[in-house]
Amino acid sequence: MSGTSLRPMAGSVGVLVALATLPWWAGDQYQIHLAALIAAWWILVAGLNLVVGFGGQLSIGHVGLLAIGAYAFAILAGRHEWSPWIALAASGGLGGMCGLLLGLPSLRLPGFYFAMATMAFALIVAELVLALGDLTGGGVGLSVPGFPEPFESPAGHYLLMLGIATMITWCAWNVARFPWGRALVAIRDNPVAAESVGVPVFRMKLAVFVASGVTAGLAGALFASLQSYITPDTFVFELGLFFFVCIIIGGRGSIAGPLAGTAILTALPELVAPLAKLGTLFYGLLLLAVVLLVPEGIGRLFQVILERVRPRETASPVLEPDAARLAAAIRRQERP
Amino acid sequence: MTALVAAGVTKRFGGLTALAAVSLDVQPGEVHGLIGPNGSGKTTLLNMLCGYYPVDEGAVRIGEEDLSRASVQRRAAVGIARTFQKPRLLPTQTVLENAMLGGWRDTRTGFLAAAFSMPRVRAEQRELRDRAQAVLEGLGLGYALKHRAQLLDHAESRFLEIGRALVLRPRFVLLDEPAGGLTGAEIERLGIVIRTLRDCGIGVLLVEHHTEFVFGICDRVTTLNLGRMIRHGTPHEVRHDPEVIRVYLGS
Repeated sequence: MSGTSLRPMAGSVGVLVALATLPWWAGDQYQIHLAALIAAWWILVAGLNLVVGFGGQLSIGHVGLLAIGAYAFAILAGRHEWSPWIALAASGGLGGMCGLLLGLPSLRLPGFYFAMATMAFALIVAELVLALGDLTGGGVGLSVPGFPEPFESPAGHYLLMLGIATMITWCAWNVARFPWGRALVAIRDNPVAAESVGVPVFRMKLAVFVASGVTAGLAGALFASLQSYITPDTFVFELGLFFFVCIIIGGRGSIAGPLAGTAILTALPELVAPLAKLGTLFYGLLLLAVVLLVPEGIGRLFQVILERVRPRETASPVLEPDAARLAAAIRRQERP
Repeated sequence: MTALVAAGVTKRFGGLTALAAVSLDVQPGEVHGLIGPNGSGKTTLLNMLCGYYPVDEGAVRIGEEDLSRASVQRRAAVGIARTFQKPRLLPTQTVLENAMLGGWRDTRTGFLAAAFSMPRVRAEQRELRDRAQAVLEGLGLGYALKHRAQLLDHAESRFLEIGRALVLRPRFVLLDEPAGGLTGAEIERLGIVIRTLRDCGIGVLLVEHHTEFVFGICDRVTTLNLGRMIRHGTPHEVRHDPEVIRVYLGS
């Protein structure tokens, strides 16, 4: 491993250690709750980021998948008293299945219409939650059980979510750095070029969409047990936009950017608590500032500054092909 | 030896016949030029060989394998690579990553294997990176491996697209006006690259307006006009054909 890739890794480990010890240095219980909430949203956003940030498919309806995961967990673990672990896995599976059913007909649509289809899905889920009162408790809602010891306490629940969020982040990072990530970016930036090298465009969009359904389902289950009570009001349509905005503010095609975006946007209304009424105003201002000033997102802000500061190479090298080396490179990769 | 063959292909757009029963074959280790005035159907033919347009009549084959109904992806998998008139790169990705995209069809690992970073995925990635880097160094882009593609100049973008096509391990490379926008010196270097592909046994279809370049480098040349083939032969035969001179070259 080279020295350049060691430094960010050391940074990640440092951040992780800080987060894992949060219950011991946090000022109060509320900060732990907030950190757990960030973890829940990030579990969803990490999957959605592959769809939106990498694949370029504009889904604004993931709140529907979140609600499905949350209600599935509440019903299975609460009413039917399944083991919370099995209910958690079932919520993820159901989220993935609903992602498949939603993605199959809609992912062939051009961008804008796809966004509308996901929006319609979120609205339908919201209506169904109200209409199927026997199952979902209707407007009254459902109480949701927690996880068994040692994850029962707020700190334990937080650590559980941190563990799952860390694993999901690692998976998303792996997808991004291997050929899958490149192919997704190609689908986003240049689908014609993607096809020309053999990328199965629809199949890949569907695969990451299903994966994002799984993470949305998991996030829904963890979020529901964190809140311990859910009602239809919890899953307003704006929440779907919120996830989308986390990615846009964080920057497309990055993992760290949307992670920072999720953390900032979740914490922002709480940090400016005296101005709680203006919380949405801050979203708006931040979104406007990012779109106008750094359209590539805050994740790239740092890099953009570096590129400005760092002196450019002055001597432009000449493009000089070397026939012998090129021939060797071609022959080397010839099929047997 | 298996050739890439267009056998009497016809393409209509509404009432307009863009190509009328045009036949052409590209042999392995040959540079085949395709020239003609604007709108004569050159790029249409290239798009039909790659699968972007279905053929209305006729067939596209490699050897005995009929590809007329095959998808673009399937044709990439059997070894047809191409470049575009206006380079189609991934602007935010590095030069090396752009070239590695060309090796997509060699990555056999699925989504879950990638997500959990199985050893096989890492091995594939290493192998792909090594050979993409070797190709780029051969093309003279070794100094730019880590540059983002949006920072490249025009010639570098063109060469990178050729690099991406080569990492696909192609049997045939279809170049759509690769000399467009290049300086004289750059066109000479492009010539070195194309000759190297030919020497390695790759069949090259060269759609190009720069006729001096075409006649200098091609083994055979096909001329189209208004969707019909008007002359096919060696560069010498084609450039002295009165019909080709009349409709395209001028005197």
